[in-house]
Amino acid sequence: MEFSHDRSGDTLVVNASGRVDGSNASDFLESLQGMFDPGDQRIILDLGGLEYISSAGLRVLLMAAQNLDKQNKSFGICSLTEAVGDVFRISGFDQIINVFPSVEDAKQG
Amino acid sequence: MQRSLHLSHPPEQGHPSDVLPLIEDILNEMAEAEEWPITLTMRANLILEELVLNILTHGDTSGLTKINLELESQDHALTIRLSDDGSPFNPLTDAPEPDVTLPLAERPIGGLGVYLVRTMGEELEYRREDDRNHLKLVVHPES
Repeated sequence: MEFSHDRSGDTLVVNASGRVDGSNASDFLESLQGMFDPGDQRIILDLGGLEYISSAGLRVLLMAAQNLDKQNKSFGICSLTEAVGDVFRISGFDQIINVFPSVEDAKQG
Repeated sequence: MQRSLHLSHPPEQGHPSDVLPLIEDILNEMAEAEEWPITLTMRANLILEELVLNILTHGDTSGLTKINLELESQDHALTIRLSDDGSPFNPLTDAPEPDVTLPLAERPIGGLGVYLVRTMGEELEYRREDDRNHLKLVVHPES
């Protein structure tokens, strides 16, 4: 997986691309947590470059969403590809995590 | 198109997830040859990862389990036949069903993998025969 992030005010946008599976899900969690700053109020995860996600990766997203929710921070995921969107729908993740078509939509949402 | 793969993973040789690239490669080859919709490749990969890692990490033999995998595809439907010599495990009944309607704060972290297999897989059949688990299922690009 590859990551980059961009902070603007209290909004953090994280781009994650590549594959997240049982071999690297724990690295994914560590990388994500390492990017969060206490001052971030809105965290947007852009998964436009994500090619593959298994349940190991979904668990990481769930843990991140639950942690941020506990801290009353806003968390949204955006730019899902067709295949990742399919997994989100079947797992019911699109019902519990805010999903937006684009980063711009997520910033306004 | 048919492909088969034999997987096993002695614990001294790294992590069971080391077998994942083998699964990815064989699926990519089939997907490219038969122009699979991207959702079929994703679903097939996800299902096989869940099933194979489950067998290699949860069986009594901790990685020594031998898995035979047979894949057969036609008209963008993939039939998966998986057999292994691990301890008896029926993924259709031997794992709790997570409640996917629970709100965020109450959603349990585990149990999602087998749920996705049951939901994305169709015509699932399990039998225990000759001290082996035999699982068959069919994957379609959509449901």
